[in-house]
Amino acid sequence: MTHVKAIRPEVVVAGQDPDTAGTPQSSSRAGRPIVDVHGVDKVYNNGTVALKDVELTVKEGEFVSLLGPSGCGKSTLLRLMAGLGDVTRGEVKWWEQGYDVVGQKGRKLAFVFQNATLMPWARVRKNVRLPLDLNREKGPDTEQRIDQALDMVGLNKFGDAYPRELSGGMQMRVSIARAMVTEPNLLLMDEPFGALDEMTRNKLNDDLLRLWKANGWTVVFVTHSVYEAVYLSNRVVVMAARPGRVIEDVPIEAPYPRGQEFRVSTEFAGYCRRVSEALEVASRQGEEADS
Amino acid sequence: MKSPLLENERFVQIAAPLFVGVVFLLLWEAVVRATGTPVYILPGPVDIGKAFVEDWGVLFHSLLMTLKVTLMAFAISVVLGTAASLLFVQSRWIEVSLFPYAVLMQVTPIVAIAPLIIIWVDDTTWALTVCAVIIAIFPIISNTTLGLRSVDPNLLSMFRMYRTGRLQQLIRLRIPSALPYFFGGMRISTGLALIGAVVAEFVAGTGGTQAGLAYLILQSGYNLDIPRMFAALGLITLTGITLFALMVWLSDRVLRNWHESALKVEQ
Repeated sequence: MTHVKAIRPEVVVAGQDPDTAGTPQSSSRAGRPIVDVHGVDKVYNNGTVALKDVELTVKEGEFVSLLGPSGCGKSTLLRLMAGLGDVTRGEVKWWEQGYDVVGQKGRKLAFVFQNATLMPWARVRKNVRLPLDLNREKGPDTEQRIDQALDMVGLNKFGDAYPRELSGGMQMRVSIARAMVTEPNLLLMDEPFGALDEMTRNKLNDDLLRLWKANGWTVVFVTHSVYEAVYLSNRVVVMAARPGRVIEDVPIEAPYPRGQEFRVSTEFAGYCRRVSEALEVASRQGEEADS
Repeated sequence: MKSPLLENERFVQIAAPLFVGVVFLLLWEAVVRATGTPVYILPGPVDIGKAFVEDWGVLFHSLLMTLKVTLMAFAISVVLGTAASLLFVQSRWIEVSLFPYAVLMQVTPIVAIAPLIIIWVDDTTWALTVCAVIIAIFPIISNTTLGLRSVDPNLLSMFRMYRTGRLQQLIRLRIPSALPYFFGGMRISTGLALIGAVVAEFVAGTGGTQAGLAYLILQSGYNLDIPRMFAALGLITLTGITLFALMVWLSDRVLRNWHESALKVEQ
């Protein structure tokens, strides 16, 4: 097995290392592949071709958004990257190996769902510790890790609350804390902020970028918002429907940290136009396939 | 002017139905007296109340018998019903093969099979209990099975991502998700256990020290002791209401923090 030199420590404990927090990610863009989707088709039992010949490599430290009209298979692709479901053809590799390596130290994966997906019967702390319980991690530091995760999303006062006592945005943050507690290296997010109002969404976008930097995550982010994709990502992957496929891969080269100035800049508007045009082409192709 | 008592939700909840009940009883007594209806046709509430006091010894003994059968049947239904549901969710095959028989058991009138069971089972108390179980178990099975299947698909995906075993899935996910459905089943089941106990006793017609409220009603009918008949009937109703209230209280206690059914939303 060839180990490429680690670009940063394998595990960065959330919030413990102020030196790495805020370091530009540009050096890691050429990092090793974290997840590699190669020639993948996905055909459901009912005959629907969800994905056709998809190629996508996500490298260490990247923030990649998957964008496309509904039915383009972006969520399916993300689920395959999470090891949920089998590919019909082609292969998916994690850290250049099979799914078995996922979960090992430095190769942890976490998934954030479209809705918060919390257990309503369990208090916030118990929800956050679920992945640790499922992995049978019982170390003495688990309580501390839960505290840290809640701290990072600003919910340290709400550990004993029940999910339904929280607002939608707060529930989503619990969901992110639950993903963080595993100290993931790869974070997969399926339209995590789609159901939230714009102000909450912008706030959570900024939180996410901050956490991404602080923790050295690699993120794959599914969204249907052009603005959100451009604002967050190094790369926006545009997909088309029927069959689901990648049609364009737009690099967003604006430097981080990005903030309010970036949102109103002409650079941002330019990227948005470019991605929107690609999306336009994607939609048109989908319609042609329909007729 | 508004009285502060009338603003109190709890007070209204208790006082309003109580008021209706008292008015009904007064009207009843008035009609019985005004028309001079004989006691052996329709006794007034006062006569029934007298029977309650005078026959309390017999009534209470019968109540205990009926309650014993009801509670035993309910407990067995909960245990066996839950076990059956847990079995059903293990595999679609098991569910598909066995569920129709659970339905069959439910739709067969208990009155029609009670005589058979009374022949087969020697001990009367157990014979009655078996009859009551046959009708009380179904809501537990159907509700709990539905609950164990009603799991948030995303949470299930998460468990799959961590390659969690079936037992962990069951304990951490399926059982908590099923609780509201399970309690719903229990509410229906208590009532059915009581009905089963009473109906079976009507068919069995057991007397002596084993006599429950149903037998007391039969016997009072033969003796034209109609006030006592009403008193026994009243006790059955009261028992049913108490058991139901107990279930509501229990389910509210367990679910109050998280489930919609147990929440008080202020408008």
